Amino acid sequence: MLRASAAAEAAGVPSSSIVGEGFLGLAAAAATGQGTPTLPVAKFPGHPGVQSAEELRRNTLEVTLFDVINNLLETPAPGSMATEPGARDIIFRGTLDEIDEHFYRNELSDGLPFRPPTRERVEAFLRFTDRDPDEVLGILPPDHRAATVWSVAVNGVMAGCLPEYMPVLLALVEAMADPYYGVEHSGNTPGSDTLITINGPIIRELGFNYTQGVMRDGIRANTAIGRFWRLYLRNVAGFLLHKNDKGSFGNTWRVVVAENEDVVKEIGWEPNSVEMGFEAGDNTVTIARYAGGNHIGSVGGSTPQEMLPYLAEFVARQHLWHLTFTIGVTEGSLRPLILLSPILARTMVAGGWSKRDFKQALFDKARLPAHHVERILRDWTQKGIWDIGVEARLGRLPRAFHESDDPERLVPIVWEAEDFLVTVTGDPARNSAYIFGHNGYGGYPVARKIKLPKNWKALREKSR
Amino acid sequence: MREQEYEVLWPRSPRQTQLKPLAKRLDTLNGKTVVQLWDYLFRGDEMFRSLDEGLRARFPGINIVSWREFGSIHGAEDKQVVASLPSRFRELGADAVITAIGC
Repeated sequence: MLRASAAAEAAGVPSSSIVGEGFLGLAAAAATGQGTPTLPVAKFPGHPGVQSAEELRRNTLEVTLFDVINNLLETPAPGSMATEPGARDIIFRGTLDEIDEHFYRNELSDGLPFRPPTRERVEAFLRFTDRDPDEVLGILPPDHRAATVWSVAVNGVMAGCLPEYMPVLLALVEAMADPYYGVEHSGNTPGSDTLITINGPIIRELGFNYTQGVMRDGIRANTAIGRFWRLYLRNVAGFLLHKNDKGSFGNTWRVVVAENEDVVKEIGWEPNSVEMGFEAGDNTVTIARYAGGNHIGSVGGSTPQEMLPYLAEFVARQHLWHLTFTIGVTEGSLRPLILLSPILARTMVAGGWSKRDFKQALFDKARLPAHHVERILRDWTQKGIWDIGVEARLGRLPRAFHESDDPERLVPIVWEAEDFLVTVTGDPARNSAYIFGHNGYGGYPVARKIKLPKNWKALREKSR
Repeated sequence: MREQEYEVLWPRSPRQTQLKPLAKRLDTLNGKTVVQLWDYLFRGDEMFRSLDEGLRARFPGINIVSWREFGSIHGAEDKQVVASLPSRFRELGADAVITAIGC
């Protein structure tokens, strides 16, 4: 919304941006990030979601209206941008404790102790890439800072990564900067956090956990790279709590998930990297943001048909307001992720199912009554003014959403079967699954190939 | 004994935006065209209804262009929508813009 106001100002048209009381801090931070620190804002008291029609009207007329008029008629105070250090500046000298405190007080760390980013450590990371340290991988909103190779190394050091993780970190930041991913939405209210999935021989080479407890901290590659992601979002993209990060509750960063490619190869399913458009055996990272997840425990059944009703029921029930990414705010951008433990994947294959068959079965079975979906989006969460029938008649929804006018008809939660993503990982000895509630266009799945430096093998030998 | 000291680098990176000037403000809203933009969230339609009432009472000559002219400014296409705004403003002869709602 502030981007629209900034576009108006740039076009010479004065603007007023209506912002809820609890979001004024975010508005100030975001306006600074886009170079318009005094962009005029009109306050709306409280949150409209919980106000009666009369309260909303009164607040609009008694508070917001006054601000809107002032915003459009009164010249704002001149703005200024804070002076900051240079990209390679030494910003502090001290002991570990002193550095920790200095960084914490200046919002440069995540609150945990970290490795001090010294020049020597950063240079060790830079040896694991052929890229120029000043190369810009993208400009990251909302702070609009340059995502440089150098800054990736600095934050990698801080996160506790090893220098040989550098090619993975670079691929991740390239993905973060991809407009399809939508990094600018990373501070939205669901507090969604990114899940990183890694594929390829690099899983074994760098020692990622891809079996039991895959999402638990404790294995360095999975854990430190997950921490890097959040540090980079803070330090370079600019998602700081109480400013650009407005997650109502938030989440801790997620530990990296590695796929069990041994099992995937054994059963003949394509790995996640192939779903994302790469070749089997490529080293890749995939990122997507999820509002939360849930363990699907003790999936019973000796055939895929016996397992399906429980899995489909769980997948459908995990999605409520998220359906606004299927119908509403955006259409067709919901990409749920299901993690399957190897036992479940093997059982499906023994029953003759490919990964595509499983996705089609989920598409056909993970459904909700049409009137219930409308009630969630229109009445319960105020995500707009939608009617599935109207949307379908206008050609904005696939036929599967409107096969009749019966409000009890079952509609899918995604547009097509391929919208489901499936990764095989986790405890090989347990019949478990996990479903992530996806954040739609604000964290759409994006993947990148991991580019290893020319002298990778020699560097790895040396580091051992 | 004094602990070892380290010299540490800045973990941020230079901002790529410069300070941008804001548009000149208006002397009145009477006789001006004010455009509404909405992200289709959180009852902005009701807010705009009340705002219309309040603005017309204060500025009887105001011309308000409804959010319905634009559709949602939020979602997967928002970058394209924002990029198209300056030309739409010119077409509509917009003098001012009200955007809603950040919540």
